[in-house]
Amino acid sequence: MASVGGSSKDTLTLNLYPMLDIFSILICFLLMSFSSDPVSHDVDAGVELPESSTIVALDEVPTIVVTKTEIRVNDKKVADIQAGDVPEKERTQGAIYPVFDELKKLADATKRLSKNIRTDDPNAKGSTGALTMEMDKGHRFKLMKRIMLSAQQAEFVQFKLMVQKELH
Amino acid sequence: MSRKKKRHRIDYKEIELNIMPFIDIFSMLNTFLLFTAVFLSVGVLEVQIPFLSNSPPPDDPKDSRVFQLSVDVTKDQVEVQTSYTRPPEQLQKFPFPNNPEGRKLLHQKLSDVRKKNADTDKATVYSDDDVNWESLSAVLDSVMLRIESDPVFPPVKDAKNKDRAELDAKTFLYPKIVMGSVMLK
Repeated sequence: MASVGGSSKDTLTLNLYPMLDIFSILICFLLMSFSSDPVSHDVDAGVELPESSTIVALDEVPTIVVTKTEIRVNDKKVADIQAGDVPEKERTQGAIYPVFDELKKLADATKRLSKNIRTDDPNAKGSTGALTMEMDKGHRFKLMKRIMLSAQQAEFVQFKLMVQKELH
Repeated sequence: MSRKKKRHRIDYKEIELNIMPFIDIFSMLNTFLLFTAVFLSVGVLEVQIPFLSNSPPPDDPKDSRVFQLSVDVTKDQVEVQTSYTRPPEQLQKFPFPNNPEGRKLLHQKLSDVRKKNADTDKATVYSDDDVNWESLSAVLDSVMLRIESDPVFPPVKDAKNKDRAELDAKTFLYPKIVMGSVMLK
C-alpha cells in the first residue's frame, strides 16, 4: 500500500543558501555602520537631538541630560520641567539651585582628581574640564541659559552640546 | 590492428559541504552586531560661556585695537555685528533671516569676514530666550563649521597643541564660540 507521503526514497533538503545570502548582506551592513566613535552612547528616549553637520565626535558620556520633563545630572533627577521651564521655587538669580548643587559636588571632585594628574599643561591641573549636555531640541534657550548659569557658578565654563550628526 | 582504449571510470562521490558551523558563526556575529550597533551618530558642538577672572589678559596692551565679531540670534533673524574694541569702532550690522537660506547667506558673510580678519577666530553669540535649541544649533553650525568652499585659515600661532590647532583650522570657520548672553542677573 502506498504511503501518503510518497516514496520513502525521496529526500527533502532545505536550501540554506538564501538565508546565508541574507546573513552576509546583514553582516556587511552592520560592520559598515559599526560606530567607530570613541564613546558609544544611546540617546535618552525622552530626548530628540537637533541635527548638525559637525564632525566632532562625542568623547564622553553626557553629565547633564535635559529631557522634555526633567533635568538629570549624572543620571540623578535634580529638577522637573514644567511648561518648558523649571518651577520658580528652584530658581535663584536665573540659575537652578539643585543643578548648581549637584555640579558643585562634581566640580570639587574633578578638581581634586585633576590636581594629582601628571601633565605638561599647567591649565589642566585643578580645572573642572568641559561639561557634556544632552538636551531636547524643542527646549528654549532660556532653559539652556539657566543650566549654563548654574554650571558657571559651579566653575564649569566649557560645554559640549550634543547634536545628531547629519547623514550624508 | 585495433587498439582498444582502456577507459578509466572515475566514481564521483557526492560531497556535501557542512555549512552549519558557518551559519552558527554568522548568527552569533549578527546577534552581537545588532546588540552593539548604534544607529544614531552623535556629535558635539563645543562652546564656552563668559567667566570672571582676576588674572590679567595675556598679551593684551590697553591701547590695542582688536577686531571683534558677534552674532545676535532672535526667532526670526540672525544679525552679524563687526566692530573694533577702540575708536573708531566702525560698527557694521548685517541682518539675515533665521531660516535655512538665510543661514547659508550668514555663513557666506562670516566666511568673507574671516578672510579679511584671519587672526580673529572667536565669535560671541547672543541669543534671545525664546529661540529654541534646534534653531540655535543650526545657527551655531553656520557660525562654527567650515564648509568645502571655505578656505583653510592658518591655525592659531600660540596654540599649545599644534596638531589639534591644525585639525581645528580644517574643521572650523570660528573654533571659539562664546555664549555671550549667559550672565547672572
